[in-house]
Amino acid sequence: MAGLTLRARVVVTGLGPVSSIGIGVTAFRAALREGRSGISPIESFDAEGFPYRDAGEVKDFRPETYLTRLSPAAWGRSAQLAAAAARLAAADAGLPDDACADAGVVIGTTSGESQVVESLVAQQVAGGFAAMDPGTLRQFPAERLAAGVATELGLAGEVLTLATACSASNYAVGYAFDCVARGDADLMFAGGADSVCRWAQAGFHRLGALTESACRPFDKGRAGIITGEGGAVLLLENADHARARGARVYAEVLGYGVNCDARHMVAPDEDSIAACMRLAHQDADVKPDEIDYICAHGTGTPANDLVEARAVRQVFGERIPPVSSIKSMLGHTMGAASGFGAIATTLAIADGFLPPTINWTTQDDELPWIDPVPNVARPATVRIAQNDGFAFGGNNAITVFGAAR
Amino acid sequence: MMITGRAVLAPAGDADATPLYDDLPAHSAPVLAGFSVRERLGRKGTSTFDRATALAVVACGEALRDAGVDLTTVDPARVGLVLGTTVGSLASTMDFSRETLVQDKPYLVNPMQFPNTVMNCAAGQSAIWYGLRGVNATVAGGPIAFLQAMRYAVRAIEKSQADTVLVGAVEEFTPHTAWSSALSGTVAAGEAATVFVLRRAVTGMAEVLATAAGFTPADGPGALPGCVRRALAQAGASPEQVWAMATGDHLDDGEAGAVEAALGRRPLDLSPRARYGDCGAAAGGLALAAVLDRRADAPADAVAVVTGRARDGAVAAAVIRTVPE
Repeated sequence: MAGLTLRARVVVTGLGPVSSIGIGVTAFRAALREGRSGISPIESFDAEGFPYRDAGEVKDFRPETYLTRLSPAAWGRSAQLAAAAARLAAADAGLPDDACADAGVVIGTTSGESQVVESLVAQQVAGGFAAMDPGTLRQFPAERLAAGVATELGLAGEVLTLATACSASNYAVGYAFDCVARGDADLMFAGGADSVCRWAQAGFHRLGALTESACRPFDKGRAGIITGEGGAVLLLENADHARARGARVYAEVLGYGVNCDARHMVAPDEDSIAACMRLAHQDADVKPDEIDYICAHGTGTPANDLVEARAVRQVFGERIPPVSSIKSMLGHTMGAASGFGAIATTLAIADGFLPPTINWTTQDDELPWIDPVPNVARPATVRIAQNDGFAFGGNNAITVFGAAR
Repeated sequence: MMITGRAVLAPAGDADATPLYDDLPAHSAPVLAGFSVRERLGRKGTSTFDRATALAVVACGEALRDAGVDLTTVDPARVGLVLGTTVGSLASTMDFSRETLVQDKPYLVNPMQFPNTVMNCAAGQSAIWYGLRGVNATVAGGPIAFLQAMRYAVRAIEKSQADTVLVGAVEEFTPHTAWSSALSGTVAAGEAATVFVLRRAVTGMAEVLATAAGFTPADGPGALPGCVRRALAQAGASPEQVWAMATGDHLDDGEAGAVEAALGRRPLDLSPRARYGDCGAAAGGLALAAVLDRRADAPADAVAVVTGRARDGAVAAAVIRTVPE
């Protein structure tokens, strides 16, 4: 868009986290500040036989508490998480129900309705394909994540589910940002949702990418991810629209970048990630030395954190801002991950603190330039921050946020 | 925005599907019976591809060739790919998950197959195969995924995220999709891959003048007429200029009725309907291809409307002006 047309300013006016460390912005902010862990023994499926049996499940999630239109019986868990998160974001933004009608929604995901698909698998194992239940089949399409939000909130705008795996929320925030910046919409809900499932637990274990019970990004002893889940939705709003209705503004969305490694399905690529950071900075019209904080992809695998740290050094040179990973607290919430990152980044700017990387004990000599904000949240003035998201398929997406002006 | 090349892999009609799979609700189905990824791309690097990924990679290559894109002379960071899907490969995901239930230990899955469980597998593998390093997105929109992908691709070029974007959608036929359709009482599952090359150009097959999207809950009045009107207004085209429509509907005429409501009349209907079975995300690509196939018949200054709607209430429309051959 740069150079083509003037774009409207886009601000964040509502936050809706449904996470293992807290539901709603007040609880989530408090958890980030105190460095709470959301990791606990798996209950959503029978984890018997799995060597590692912890995950970041949202055990307190009672959909009926948040959802007024969606019937939990007719919608899968991921759609429920997305819809509840959007409901919370709308309430946080002080939007009355009837003020959302023209809004749109973009939801990112890795595995869509994974628990619905796993129900079908259980039916098939028990009685063959013919035993699959039509009511369950009705619920598996991934488009229902965004459709669930739109149904719950009564939206009439653009409704889109993006399935770019673990960077999908950043894709969603980027697309929604463009919708508002172009003037197509004044209000867009954007974020992501995913549910804990057996196949991810098994797949990451077999890749050697799973750790037992404490995810320790950027630590010398980091050994992998812990799977997680949740719904994370932000309300993006035209800045003039927000001002006209007297909305509280958390932060401004400055821009984003997306690109593709095109080299390997699962291994991250330093040069490609560095290129994505430059694209994001260019779109946001910021320079690396203006960035005060990086909310890392920071999965806690040896490879990801090393590659991300090297890409940061490549782009930022001598002045490297603090880089923390909230996956140390949440686990890897897959398609929701960069949505939670976007919320944490927004709060870092609005409330002046850096979320910590918990479980951190030992400096990794291979990445001494990384200050991971170890274990304890830190007061800081954050004017501009970037939120990293990388994914299987080489789908990199980075969003950039700035202080409200 | 110009469509400069295309690839359509779609079955010619029903075929005997039993050489492909044992466990099917019906022996005959609208499948690409002769499709072999090994024949098309060779053995090397293709052994882990599931059918959806294989179809996508082959279709991307055909579209690039058709458009005359020489990847050795363009900057690969300026070439993007946007693919539509319903859930990626349902077979890959279900079969992988099944292993966690039937093996001695639940983690005894094949790690080589794990990337196939993510919905962006086809787009990721296609990007690797051709070295496409620009914007790469996967849109999970079911019946309207192709039109959503087109909308995403147009915006990516307008925003200068890429100069050239491959835009398409793919859906595979497997026992999983066949049984899903049969048990749901819908049109039999089909399979197709449709990929188009989009870029700013003065010559090509057709211009994408506008896209629009909307939503009403499934039990509401339907958002499609308004969506079509918005798309036409954005394209600067009047209802009288619409010479043809192509919808994604399979059996009922709900979409055609919605287009008629938007235009005040019913233009030439080129909808593929159930010709290819239910090709899910690829339905919109097949509808666009149907319009391109008839472009010799398009009056001067006329436009065509391509539409789609999903069961939960999302709709999309595109306005296309074909270029005479």
